[in-house]
Parts: sequence; C-alpha cells; structure tokens
Amino acid sequence: MGFLQLNVLNQVEALPPVGIDLGTTNSLVAIWENGRPTVVHPEGDNGYVPSCVYFPSDGPPIVGKEARERAVFDPEHALFSVKRFMGRGLADVANDLKGVPFRAQSGKNGVIEFDVRGRKLTPQEVSALVLEKCGEVAALASGGRALQKAVITVPAYFDDAQRQATRDAARLAGIEVLRIVNEPTAASLAYGLDQKKQGNVAVYDLGGGTFDVSILAIEDGVFRVLSTNGDTHLGGDDFDRCLVSVALTELSHSVDPRKLDEPAFLQALRLAAEKCKIELSTYPEAEMHIQIPDSNGQWRRRFTRDEFESLTKPLIDRTLDCCRRALSDAGLEVAKIDEVVLVGGVTRMPAVRMAVQQLFGRVPHTKLNPDEVVALGAAVQAHVLSGGTRDVLLMDVTPLSLGLETVGGAVAKVILRNATIPCQATEGFTTYVDNQTAIDFNVLQGERELASDCRSLGKFRLSGIPPMPAGLARVAVRFHIDANGLLTVTAKEQSTGISSRIEVQPQNGLTDADVQRMLASAYEHAKDDFAARRATELVTEIGTMLRATEKGLAEAKSQLDRETILDIEDAMKNAREACSTRDAQALQRSRDAFEKATLPLAAVLMDNFAKKALTGKVIGDM
Amino acid sequence: MTACPNCRQETTTPLVCTACGVLLSPDGALSPFEVFGVEPAFELDHAALKRRLLELSRRMHPDYFATAGAEQRERAEGNTAELNRAHEVLANDQSRADWLVRSLGGPDELQERAMPQAFLLEVLEWNETLDAARSAPAGSRPLEQLAALRAELAARRTQALELLRGSLVPLPPRGSPRLVEARRELNALRYVERTLAEIRALELGQPAARA
Repeated sequence: MGFLQLNVLNQVEALPPVGIDLGTTNSLVAIWENGRPTVVHPEGDNGYVPSCVYFPSDGPPIVGKEARERAVFDPEHALFSVKRFMGRGLADVANDLKGVPFRAQSGKNGVIEFDVRGRKLTPQEVSALVLEKCGEVAALASGGRALQKAVITVPAYFDDAQRQATRDAARLAGIEVLRIVNEPTAASLAYGLDQKKQGNVAVYDLGGGTFDVSILAIEDGVFRVLSTNGDTHLGGDDFDRCLVSVALTELSHSVDPRKLDEPAFLQALRLAAEKCKIELSTYPEAEMHIQIPDSNGQWRRRFTRDEFESLTKPLIDRTLDCCRRALSDAGLEVAKIDEVVLVGGVTRMPAVRMAVQQLFGRVPHTKLNPDEVVALGAAVQAHVLSGGTRDVLLMDVTPLSLGLETVGGAVAKVILRNATIPCQATEGFTTYVDNQTAIDFNVLQGERELASDCRSLGKFRLSGIPPMPAGLARVAVRFHIDANGLLTVTAKEQSTGISSRIEVQPQNGLTDADVQRMLASAYEHAKDDFAARRATELVTEIGTMLRATEKGLAEAKSQLDRETILDIEDAMKNAREACSTRDAQALQRSRDAFEKATLPLAAVLMDNFAKKALTGKVIGDM
Repeated sequence: MTACPNCRQETTTPLVCTACGVLLSPDGALSPFEVFGVEPAFELDHAALKRRLLELSRRMHPDYFATAGAEQRERAEGNTAELNRAHEVLANDQSRADWLVRSLGGPDELQERAMPQAFLLEVLEWNETLDAARSAPAGSRPLEQLAALRAELAARRTQALELLRGSLVPLPPRGSPRLVEARRELNALRYVERTLAEIRALELGQPAARA
C-alpha cells in the first residue's frame, strides 16, 4: 500500500472492513488483501499506534507515537494504558492508578473519569481517540480511504462491562463494530491459516496489561474454542513494576519520598524499567539508570536476568495457573495439546518461553510476530463477516459464568463459563411475598458462590406483575449472549401474559444517552480544537508580519505620511494584544486590519525594490 | 419431520433447512434431541454429535449472515444459540440424563433429594479429608491426600455413570421407578462433580465454581 491512490483523496471512499487490535500499549490495524491478512501501514512507518493520548496546552489532543514522546517530558498531561480502566469502577483500579502519573475519579454510573487540563474524559473517550488515530493511519496508508467498519479485539477474559465499554469507544470514534472478537481466538485464526494445521492448540497471550489463555480445536476450517481463562490485570506493565519497585525501595534511603512520588519521575522510572526489561530478553544483564530528582547524580543498577526472573516469577506462575484451569475446563491432558502459540510482546521474555515450554512439554510456536498476530486474525474475521469466505468458522465461548442473585445473596448460575456463543438460557422465578408486583434482579458475572464476590453487571426491576399469592407468578428470565460475547437479559411474567418492562442500570458503563452526549461534546471539542489550531497559526503569522513591518518601517518611514504611520502603529499594537488573548476571531480581525494598514507601506517597499532593480543594483537577487 | 417452507424438502432440524440453507423459525421450546435430529436416548455417538454441531454451525452461524438484513441476522443468532444450548445439554452425560428424566415425568432434584444409601457413607469419609484441606492455609494444603481423593472420586464417577446407564438404557417408560433411581444417581454425580471442582480449586487456588 502506498500513496498511489492519493488522487482519490477528495472522494470519501470506504475501506473494506478491517481488523483492529486495540491494545493496552499499542493498537494496530490489519486488512484482508490479495488473499491474506496484512498490517495496514503508511510508507516508512510500521503502522503501530501507541495507545497514548497527549493533551497540549492548546490545540487538539495528540495521539500515538508523538503522544508517547511528549508524555516522556510532560507525563501529567498524557493518558495511557487506559484499557486497564475500561468498564471498571474506581475500586477495581486502585492498584493500576498507583503505577500511572494520572489521576482518576468516579463519574456517573461509577464510570471512571480522568481529568486532564480541566477536561474530563472516560476511558471510552480516550480509547475512541486512539481508534480515530487508527483510522487516520489507515487512511494515510490507503490513499485516503475511510475506516468505517471493523472487527475489534478484546482480551478473552474481558467481562460484559469491559466489552460494552470497547463497543462504546468504537461508537464514539464513528466506527461500526462488525464483531468483538477475543484476542487469543483472533491469533489462532492467523496461526491456523498461516500454518494450515489441525489439532488442539493453546494460545498463550501475555500483552501489555492483560493475560489470556485459550484452548482451541482446529478442524476443517472450524476454529472451536474449548475453554478460556485469564487475568485482565496481568501484563507487561506488571513486569515493569517489579523493577520500578526495586528502584523506589533503593532510592527511598537517600531521596525525599515526596520527590519519588512525582509523576514526571515515576514516568521516567517506568520507561527506564521497560527498557531494562526489553534488554534483559536479549542480554543476560542490563543496567537500569535514572536521573535522581533534585540532584546531578544518576541512580544506576545492574539487573541480571536471574534476578529479574525471580522478581517476576510470581507473575509467570499466575499465568501458568490460568493455563492449568483452561486445560482442566477443556477436559484435555497436556499431552493432547498439539501446538502452543505465543502472542503479546512479553512472550519474548526467555523466562516466559521456558515456563510455557515446561508446562506444555513442547517448544512453543514463535514464527508469527507476537505483536501483529491478533490484528491479522481480526482482519481474517472481518473478511469472513463481509461475506468474503465460508471456509473459516470461529466458534468462541463466554469466559465467565452468568447468573442472578437469589434470596440470601447466593448466585443462581444461568449460563456456565466456556459455553459456546451465541447461547441462551431461560430460568424461572416467582414472587415470595403475597401481592408482590415487582421483582428486582441483580445480574452477576463470575465463578464465586456469593453474589457479593461476583461482578454485578447491572440491576433491573420487573414491574407490573398483577397482585397474586406468593409463588404463583411465573417469571421467565432469558439470558442471551450474542456472538460478540455481549449479554442481553429479558424478563416476562407468563401466567397472565401481561408484558412487563425492564430497566437496566449499567454498572461502570455508559448509557445510550451518555454516548449521544459525548458525541455531541466531541463535536463541540472538535470545533474548539479547530479554533485553537487556527489561533496558533494566526499568532505565528502575525509574528512574521510584525517583524517584516518593523524592518519595513525602519527602511521607508520617511516616505510615508504621518497618518499612515499612526495607522500602522495602531494596528501593530492591536495585533500584539490579540496575540495574548488567543481568541481566533479577534486574531483574525486584527490580522486583517493589520494587513490593510500596512498596504501603503508595502506599496512603497515594492516601489523602492523595483527602482533598485531597474538601476541594476540588485540584479543578482532577481 | 416437517417440510421446508422454501424448498419443500423434509427437514432434519427445526433450525435450518440442510437442503436449501434457508433459516427456519422454530416455535416453542425445542427438545435438544429434536434440534440435532436424533431419537431421545441416553446412549449417544459423541463423534457424530460433534460432526453434526459443526455441520449445522456451518449453515447458520451469524458470521455468515453479517451482511444480511436485520431479521435474518437475528434468526441466525437465535437459532445458533438454540443449537449451542442443545449441544451443551447433549454433550454432557449428566445434563443429558437430567433432561431425559424430566421429559419422562421423573422427579427433579427438589422432588427427590436422596442419594443412594452406600454413597452416603462414602461422602462422610470424603468430607473429613476435604475439611482438613479447606482449613489448611493456601501454601500448605495436603496435596497428596487431595490427589488421592480426586482419583477415588473419579472412579466413583465412572461407577455412577454406569449405574445411571443401567437405569436409562433402554429408555424407561413414563413414570417408571427407574427414573427415581436415575435421579438418585444424578444427585450422587452432582455431589461428585462439585467436590471434584472444589478439589481442583483447592489445588489451583481458584474460587470454587458450582458445577
């Protein structure tokens, strides 16, 4: 792909549906082209979009590679790793917040809100900015074609709230989501098509912020997930944190703890840790170094791979436990696994590869690029969904059991984890008090026995039940999980046939009205952003005009009448004042007035120039 | 079996016409056996069941209707959900047996709560080992004893499945006392499965899931 199709830039032509890996650290777009999936990237760029947004003092937010660079020097105005906050409440992410230089608070419906330069943003809105950037990159790579439809991947172990949040982010970015696909499943598609192999495959996916393992049976083009397990709060970030915490402990002996708590320092420390981690995958030893706050000295510390591995062993052990559970749920012995596929940048760590190899008793498959395989698989699925082929079929599962809270705080499971999706189940309920006209339902997701230990996806009330003795009402609650892994719950009182309504209060999620409001506000912001950008341009332009006018006056003041000079000086003063307001409209007015006032000066200067030229003094300049 | 409204061929499942590929609209509650087009029976060819699941999925999975109209998309989604549900019931020996006992008018687990007599004595013994493991801190669980108990329970599960087969093959007539026997074995099996899940949880440090 390149700039060959640039001539169509003015027509908004749509790209065929693409696959997007919306990652914790990086996001990537891939597309089906010439019979295979390929990463979408402009000439001379790998197409990776760091999932990072930087908010400059004026102008629109900056997303991607430039944002990541700006974040190094000004971390307080950058947001990253927001995937960890999608669909979560403040209480869920206390630990994550410790490791990032930005702060969050709880907004409406318990949705997290970041506050940057007085602008409040939910994780959904920040992810939408990243998705929009993905669209820009794709447009750049494809001669201006618009990204309109996409398959977006999520960690397999994402629950309903996290999936909803991802879908809302796409809606905010103006992208139609054809399907939400699980990352390890997408990876298996890319693997299966590339290697043309059959059998039982385990996909071990250790990404920037999340861990998934899925066990699949691949047979005649059908990719059937048998089980999945994981941890949505375990990834490369946690490995970095092991090094960060060593640094903080050692520095705390000599440095003021308040200095160590500063966002800029913590961000620098994170980056130093990440660099050290990556080096340790290649070399047996690496040095981590960082400028000590308020000092000329540097903190330097050598880590051996052995030391790093013992620091991170508990993390790797957690992933292995997930693998054992997935195997157990799939009903397969380790010996029945024909291949292990590694996905995610962290699987480049020798210790991870060794641990996986030991557990599964075979050398893992590492031929595919672990950073790109998910996006490539999503592109395959996008091709299937646009009617491109019937040779491939993906049968995925729901990662967590779903149920309802019963009297006494227990959970009645309605759909069990690892059920193939789409799936549905109906459970019967009744009233337990005479003349009860409403029943409250609490929809729960998780494996624990007690409602308080599971995640509440939302509560709803079935009202309008006609008064009758306890136990006579027959309420059927139907759970349906669609092919995206998204849940809808409907309830109906059957004994009377009277239809009743359901009101679902989303927990840590956006309502449709929220999404509409955000879309409208994004439009307002876009207008503000445009105005801010125009203001910056005008300030620059006025600056150039001021310098030129001063030079011109010095040269030709004597040739102008007094009134003209006063007009020009007046206009200059106004223009300078307008520059300090940064009001685009005021700037535009004073720029135009300035230009008008300097017309006589420009005429004199042009005249002088022409005369000089004619007398041959500046021929060389012509 | 009924005829396909589109091509008039006889259908083999109420979900999709395997002759012309048109999605059907089933009405009412479907028997999982009916969905797969097989006669109700406890004995089942698991390999054939899987082949049929893949064959039917290939015909009606929502992935293949993504570009169709909303009505077709929803029907593909709903019918595939029915198919997956039916497969879930049939693929598992206990849920298949449970469905058969209910459909033949046998007692459900609330109407018949008893377990076989011999089984109860074993339960008391198992509970002692379990209690010890439950109260041990996570790091020092008696893993060897748990493994031994797991093996014992697995053997008991095989035995219970044999007894269940004895009660359900050939399929008893409606209201037969063999349905009560089957329910009791199912209760025992449920206990075994739950205990196995708990052992697995204790071994792997995972919160127990209700089987």
